[in-house]
Amino acid sequence: MTSNGASVAASNGAPVIELRDVDVFYGRVAALRKVSLEVHPGEIVALIGSNGAGKTSTLRTISGLISPRNGDVLLFGKSIRGVGAAHIARLGVGHAPEGRRLFARMTVRENLDMGAYSRNDRAGIRRDLERVFTLFPRLRERATQLAGSLSGGEQQMVAIGRALMSDPKALLLDEPSLGLAPILVDAIFEVIKEINSKGTTILLIEQNALLALKTASRGYVLETGSVVLSGPSADLIASPDIQRAYLGM
Amino acid sequence: MLERFLSLFRIDTGKRERNQGTTVFWIIAGTASALLLMGWLLPWFVNDYSAGVGYSAQDALVSSPTGIGTFCIYIMAVAMIMLVVSPIAEAIARARGRAFGKRADRIRFIAALVGLALTAVVWFLVSVIQEEPLFGSFTAGTYTDSAVWLTMYGFAMAALAYGARDWVVARQSVAFGVAALPFGIFLPLMFHQAPDFLLWAAGSLAIYMLLALGLNVVVGFAGLLDLGYAAFFAIGGYACASFASPIHNIHLPLWVLIFLGAAVASMFGAVLGAPTLRLRGDYLAIVTLGFGEIIPDLATNNVFNLTGGANGISGIDQPHYGALDFSTSPRWYYWSLLIVSILVIIFLRNIERSRVGRAWVALREDEVAAAATGINTTTTKLLAFAIGASVSGLAGAFYGSIVSIVSPDDFSFSVSIAVLSIVVLGGIGNIVGVILGSFILTFVIFWVLPNMNEWTTTLSTTVHVPALAGIDFSSYTFIIYGLALIAMMLLRPGGLLPSRARRIELESGEESESLAAVQGVA
Repeated sequence: MTSNGASVAASNGAPVIELRDVDVFYGRVAALRKVSLEVHPGEIVALIGSNGAGKTSTLRTISGLISPRNGDVLLFGKSIRGVGAAHIARLGVGHAPEGRRLFARMTVRENLDMGAYSRNDRAGIRRDLERVFTLFPRLRERATQLAGSLSGGEQQMVAIGRALMSDPKALLLDEPSLGLAPILVDAIFEVIKEINSKGTTILLIEQNALLALKTASRGYVLETGSVVLSGPSADLIASPDIQRAYLGM
Repeated sequence: MLERFLSLFRIDTGKRERNQGTTVFWIIAGTASALLLMGWLLPWFVNDYSAGVGYSAQDALVSSPTGIGTFCIYIMAVAMIMLVVSPIAEAIARARGRAFGKRADRIRFIAALVGLALTAVVWFLVSVIQEEPLFGSFTAGTYTDSAVWLTMYGFAMAALAYGARDWVVARQSVAFGVAALPFGIFLPLMFHQAPDFLLWAAGSLAIYMLLALGLNVVVGFAGLLDLGYAAFFAIGGYACASFASPIHNIHLPLWVLIFLGAAVASMFGAVLGAPTLRLRGDYLAIVTLGFGEIIPDLATNNVFNLTGGANGISGIDQPHYGALDFSTSPRWYYWSLLIVSILVIIFLRNIERSRVGRAWVALREDEVAAAATGINTTTTKLLAFAIGASVSGLAGAFYGSIVSIVSPDDFSFSVSIAVLSIVVLGGIGNIVGVILGSFILTFVIFWVLPNMNEWTTTLSTTVHVPALAGIDFSSYTFIIYGLALIAMMLLRPGGLLPSRARRIELESGEESESLAAVQGVA
């Protein structure tokens, strides 16, 4: 089941994630309007924008937690219309959700095991657990501690580690730097680059726009539910609008 | 598809959760005291002159005041008093900040062993050889087997508590099983002279234990509050009544009925579960409450002429297992319920440690994160409802065949509340806690409270306080019950044996957001 995503991804040169004119509503309130974006294999793409711009809604739409009213979401070139979140996770999309959302009353180890919930290959799970512990040595020390008792940075490590445990082809990271000390933010972003260098495609939301754009190859700027600007990171950083609105220059 | 579904039940959490604490130790020590006291007093009720354990004082004093049996009884009495008084003394010492040493435990352990041996000797003299070695044969007065059993069990439990205190504290759940299981198995032998008590034990205790275990799956494991659980009990009961009574002239054997009751109830569980999937907490509670009211109402209104209306269905078959005739021997009811209960407990324990058990925990903790890690929230919740309901349906089938009549009144809201109280009191999400809670609450609800009037009347004539006889406890039943629950919740908010999750929750006190809230529909 888990190898499914890989074979689909390899079969064509289609984007890993593609949104086509997606509208999302919470009741009668529009969260996303005609959002289109593409994330290609091996890329890191950043989503930036102010609070309430629709960044989190975009990620939730991709991982199937909410479904679009109009438009289409494609993963590995195939539409996920009518496919539940559980199945999308199995297709190879790992989501480290906003606010980390750990299972606070489980241990670190149990949280990581939950990440591998839909997998059956014990050897692969053990390999990935080892990989997570290598990326975040701190988690190995804390393996038997309750996730809720960890510091913010450690919790973020667990959140990313849990998403990695599903052996994802695409990793969605929602504000990995939220509430972390600057030194930890740098460390987390180093790890993000390292994960990417092993071939995992990453779609990243980040408040810290400069850091996000420096890490990513391309970026999308969301404002009140719509994509207002997109392009290679260097161009976005150079853009006067972006500098004024998001980079504080 | 089927393979995926079956893989949900694969057990993949290797390690067991060790439940440490002194609660079970105190319960075992306290029960030992209570049993010894009961064993001592029981013959007194049967025969005014008895010195206890069937060795009537009359016989002892008249025929052999210096005999071996009498001597044994004196020593036994010392051991007994020591063991009855010492837990109280230890509790008081503890409250004052002093502890009993290892030596005190060793002394009590030896006292318990000596008491056990002497009880066996006296029993041997009185009922086997019926002869006093020094003074020749005699006929024992009235004596009861129950007293001998209770005394011996009391001494054995005291020996366990004091002889292996460290082990009892380290392995609470296992220790509880070791103490309670033989009692459960031997109960029909202990009380073979009191068949009504046995029928009570089977009909109330075991049935309510099964109900509480089933509700624990929904409320404890999956964290879904269900206030209408009696509905599934009713469905099981009516399923049994319909297929084993003259009403439709179908007569199926009991073991088929058990599965039938479970299957029908689990179907209804899934049916109720489906529309409530998006609901949580208070909203879910209201919907289940409604369901719990609708089912007895439907039964009262005799829908499709299936349920016999307000009078219910009577004349349910007394099942036979070949030569074993249930109607004349309640012990077979009791034992078959015991076996079924043990199987259910093993099943639930494995479920808890299986993939679906982990998924329930994740769902309870954080529904959004659970969905994002690939848990199918729909299937997982429906499974909790279906499994919980099936245990209840099974209990309903047994209940129907024990009391041989089911009527809508048997499945009222108060049943749902009683079962929920058991789960909460015992410890939400902890199987051993729930079993313990069902022992205690059924004992209080079905034995202590109904008998209170009789006891106070007896007491008032004994101690000559006529005012005592005037109190009508039956009108205060629910007040006493309610006060006991409030006191319990204030003293131990996590229940008698809190589950790990519940302990942590009480310390941090947070609740998670629902998937529906994220989706903006609730």
